[in-house]
This record gives sequence, C-alpha cells and structure tokens, in this order.
Amino acid sequence: MRNPSIIAGLIMLALILIVALFGPALLESTLFQGQRPGMRGSYRPYQLDSVEHPIGTDGDGRDGLMVFVSSIWPSLQIGVIAGATSTVLGVVIGFLAGYARGRLDTLSRILIDMVLVIPTLPLLLMLAAYIDRWDLYKLSLILGLFGWSFVARVIRPQVQSLRERSYVDLAVLSGENALEIIFLELLPPLLPYIGYVFSLSIVGSMLAEAGLQIIGLGAGGLPTLGFMIAKGFRESVIAIGLVGQMVLPAGALIYVFLALNLINTGLDEVFNPRLKTTVEGA
Amino acid sequence: MTANADARAGESATERQDAGRREVFQYAVRRFGVYLFTLWAAITVAFFIFRLVPGDPMNILLGNLTRAEGRQRDAEAQEAIIAHYRQIFGMDEPLPAQYINYLRKAILGGLDLGPSFVEYPAQTKDLVFRRMPWTIGIFTTSVLLAWIVGTGLGALIGWLQRSRLSQLAVVISTLLQITPVYLVALGLIIYVGYTWRLLPAGGPYARHLQPEWTWEFISSLLTHAILPMLSNMIVIGAGFTLGMRALMISVLGEDYLTFARAKGLSPFTVLKDYAFRNALIPQVTALAIIVGATLNGTFIIEVLFQLPGLGTLFVQAMGLRDFNTMQAVVLFSIFAVLTLTLIVDLALPLLDPRIRRTA
Repeated sequence: MRNPSIIAGLIMLALILIVALFGPALLESTLFQGQRPGMRGSYRPYQLDSVEHPIGTDGDGRDGLMVFVSSIWPSLQIGVIAGATSTVLGVVIGFLAGYARGRLDTLSRILIDMVLVIPTLPLLLMLAAYIDRWDLYKLSLILGLFGWSFVARVIRPQVQSLRERSYVDLAVLSGENALEIIFLELLPPLLPYIGYVFSLSIVGSMLAEAGLQIIGLGAGGLPTLGFMIAKGFRESVIAIGLVGQMVLPAGALIYVFLALNLINTGLDEVFNPRLKTTVEGA
Repeated sequence: MTANADARAGESATERQDAGRREVFQYAVRRFGVYLFTLWAAITVAFFIFRLVPGDPMNILLGNLTRAEGRQRDAEAQEAIIAHYRQIFGMDEPLPAQYINYLRKAILGGLDLGPSFVEYPAQTKDLVFRRMPWTIGIFTTSVLLAWIVGTGLGALIGWLQRSRLSQLAVVISTLLQITPVYLVALGLIIYVGYTWRLLPAGGPYARHLQPEWTWEFISSLLTHAILPMLSNMIVIGAGFTLGMRALMISVLGEDYLTFARAKGLSPFTVLKDYAFRNALIPQVTALAIIVGATLNGTFIIEVLFQLPGLGTLFVQAMGLRDFNTMQAVVLFSIFAVLTLTLIVDLALPLLDPRIRRTA
C-alpha cells in the first residue's frame, strides 16, 4: 500500500478524526475554560466573530466553533456505520449472486437491478414520515439498507470473473468446499476493491444524510455537519456576517469527500494496475 | 464469374442487414419486457417497504391534528378520525387487498391514487401532473446541457492531456464533482442570489407576475431558472468531464489510433472520427447511470430554490403526512428513472453497431 493517493487520503482522514475526537475537549480546556460553550443560552446569540468566539455564536447562544467541532464526529459515525452496513450486505449478496449459477444467478441479478433503480431520496423521506423518533444508529442503519444494491451490483461481476480463473478450478479439484473457496480464494484478491466500494458507500451515506438535513427532513436534532449547514441557511447566518458557520461545515464535508476520493483513486489503481499505466503512460 | 460473386456478396449483405434488423427488434422487445417487469417489481417493493415498517403513521397524523387544534379529543372521536384517515389512504384493509386495490386503481382506474391532503380535495394525480413540468424541465435541461458541455470539455482535456491547463481543469472538475449538489446550490443562492444580487434565487418567477405569454413573464421565468439549473449542471458536468477524459485517454492508447495517425490523417479527423466516436458510447451509458442520483439532487434543488416541482410537493406532503401524494411522487420517480434508462438503452444500438449485432 505505498500508493501516494492512499497515504495522502489517510493522513487527511486522520487529521479530521483527531479534530473530531479531541477537538471539543481541547476547546473546552483552552478557549472556554470554566464555560459551557456547547450549551444553549450560554452566550448572547448571533455574536459576530471575535477572539472569544472565532466564528461567532449561533442562534441558540452556543459557540459556533464548538458546535462545528462537535458536529464532525456524529457525521463521520453516520458515514462509517451506514457505509459498513451497505458494504457488508452488498458484499454478501454480491458474492452469493456471483457465485451462484443458472436460475439463482439470473434471479439475483434481476433483484439487484430492481432495487438499484428505486429512487432512494423519496423512499428515505417517506420512511422518515413513518419513524417517529430518530437516533444516529437508526438513521445510519436505514441509510445502509438503501445502499447495498449498488455494492452488490459492482461486486457480482468481479466475483463472476474471478470464479472462472484457473486457480479457482484448481482449488475445486483439490477438494475445497464452497465456503473455503469464497473466503480463501475469492475474497482476498477482492479486498482492495471492497475497500474502494466501502469508501464510496461512506461518501454516499454522508451525502444522503446532509441532503436530508438540508431540505429540513433529516433526523432533526442530530448534531451533524449537515444539520449545522441547514440551520445556518434557515437562519441566514451569512447575511448576518457569520460566514464561518456555514463555510466551515460545508468545507469539512468536502474535505472528507476529497480524502475518501483520494483513497478511492489509490485503491482503484491497486486493484486495477492497468489504470495507472494507461493514465500515465498513454 | 465476378458479376456472379458480386451479386452473391450483395445478397448476403442485404440478408445480413435483415438479420441485423431482426436482432435489434428482438433486443428492443426483450428490453421492453424487462422494463415492464422491473417497473412492476420496483413499485411492489416500494409499496411493501412502507407498510412493513413498524409503527403506525396514523398516530403521528393524529398527533399533528391534536397539536394544530390545541385540544385533545376523546378516545371515541380519535378512533373515528383514525378510521377515516385509514380509509382515505386505503389502509383499512388487509395488506394483500390493499396491494391489489392500489395496483388496480393505479393501472385500470387511470392513475387514480386517491385524494391529496396538500390541496384537498384535489386528486393526487392532478397535483402530480401540475408539478411535473418543473421537475422534468430542470432535470432534462440541466442533464443534457451538462452532458454536452462535459463531454466536449472532457474530450478536449483528454486530447491535450499533458498541458498545464488540462491538469488544472482535472483538479477543478474533481473538486466540483465531489461537492454535493446542494452545497453548490446553497453557495449560489447565498452569494449570487443574495450577497451580490446578480440573479434571482428563490421562487419560479417574480412574485408580482402571473403566468402568461408575455415577454416579461418568460424572461422572469428564465432568469429564475438559471441558478437552479446551474447548480445541477456544475456537479454533473464535472462528472461527465472527468469520465470523458478517462475514456479519451484510454481510447488514445489504442492501436487503431496510432494507425490512423500513421496514415497521415489530420489530428482533427483522428479526434472526431476515431477517438471521440469510440469514447462516446460508454459516456451515453453513464447518462443512464446518473439519472437516479440526479433526480434526487433535483428534488433538493427545488426545495432550496422554492420551485413548485415534485420535490417541493413531496416535502409539503410529508409535513402533512399525506401518504397518497408521497406515494405518487415515489411512483413518478421510479417510472421516470426506469423510463429514462430504457430510452438510453434503446438508443445505444443506434450509436454502436457492435451492440446491434451482439444484442
């Protein structure tokens, strides 16, 4: 894994992870000693940027920077939990579909294609209408349940092509059973690709979550980056002059997407070495 | 002898053409069958997903009503209200009967999806048809423009791959492509719309106007449409640019291109007839893939720009827990995504003779 894109992406992710995990505590012990910056009504709302409040205070009388820093972790959590859910489901289904032959193969392909075309946003919104109280895990699981079809769709052909290789035939001849073939022969070479799909799923989930928040139908009250952006837009904080309260969370989202995109580019090159030579050597 | 051979060759050519046509026809029929089946299956999945989710939406509806009225009704009245709601939404029967009814009314009853809450007692169907032009207009115009601009730009960048400018273009498109469409929309609304006041960024047209065929109204409509379409275009266009660039680069490495250059063809002919045409086909397929995600994005854009399209309708319906309308919008999205994919798939054989033969 000495791929420069992957390393750059991982460093970027590590940095924001540090901010997300230790940022709130750090802020409380340095800038806001003896205060409660994350509590509603701690300060006068909508104060402009100052030394005490680098990006001002929000409409609920909280420090903007504190709100921003503590919004990162929930956003990342949603992305990872939802991404992992859809990747695991999709890989299992994709492997079953790719490994099976005949009728089962056709059936699974139709099923995957079918779920793939169902437009997710209205469905998610409609589910939101049915679910009374959201929490982070419920939301992540639901986002994950909607993402598996894409994963299965791209994993299936990979499994199919691997299954036809002669080394797999050899394993069959030497008496390995189906599970051994799947876990020992088919899974390992696909790991970089699965990593690639996982990272795409994280992006998809974070994108969907923030999108739900921004049209005002997300898991209301979940303190995510999307929620902060949505709140800032509704309260027109930019008109007030609190530019940072929207630009920072939006920038953080784009930053995470960029990091994952870098990792993806790298994983794609690892999995598909021809890509590198054609792009650079053409 | 030679004339005979020529005739035979000509004969087999027409025969081959006929066989080709038959195959295209068979391909189209088979593809249409798959389309109908998927449409039915997707609608069925969507129908059952909601009804199998635990929790009773009627309680939420009742809660809303109680809050709006500001007083609690007695238990008997509550039961009556819930029963009435269930009847309106067709939820008062066992699940299989609900499903059959839903399909029967939707297909045989001329898309009868029940009354809407958003504009009671207007039919859900009428409401959806009234809002549809906005969504379709923004969606198709921005996707097509983005596709044309992105494909052209991508071809150019791929062709000039070593120059500084094209490397810069790649970095910019990558950044734009990963930016969520709603963030682009928010940025345009806040800066272009409100801070710099360059273009209107809210509503379908100026508030004092009435829909009519005057220049004033049409120009207002068009200027109001620029920013919503631009948000969509920037993100999708960047994706198409990058996709086309990658395709161009891989096509440029092919042997037949080296041969075309060696034949002494002008660079423009090589670009147009050899590289561009071959890179175009996957690019058309890519069009089919982004349809779903772009429709999602268009719904969000409508809400942010306060355009009276289906996305906004959905959000209104959601606030009132109007299940008939919500279902109708989901139905429309499924239908739109599947139909657009079908159109692209059927258009592909026209572009690529290889698919025509092997399909």
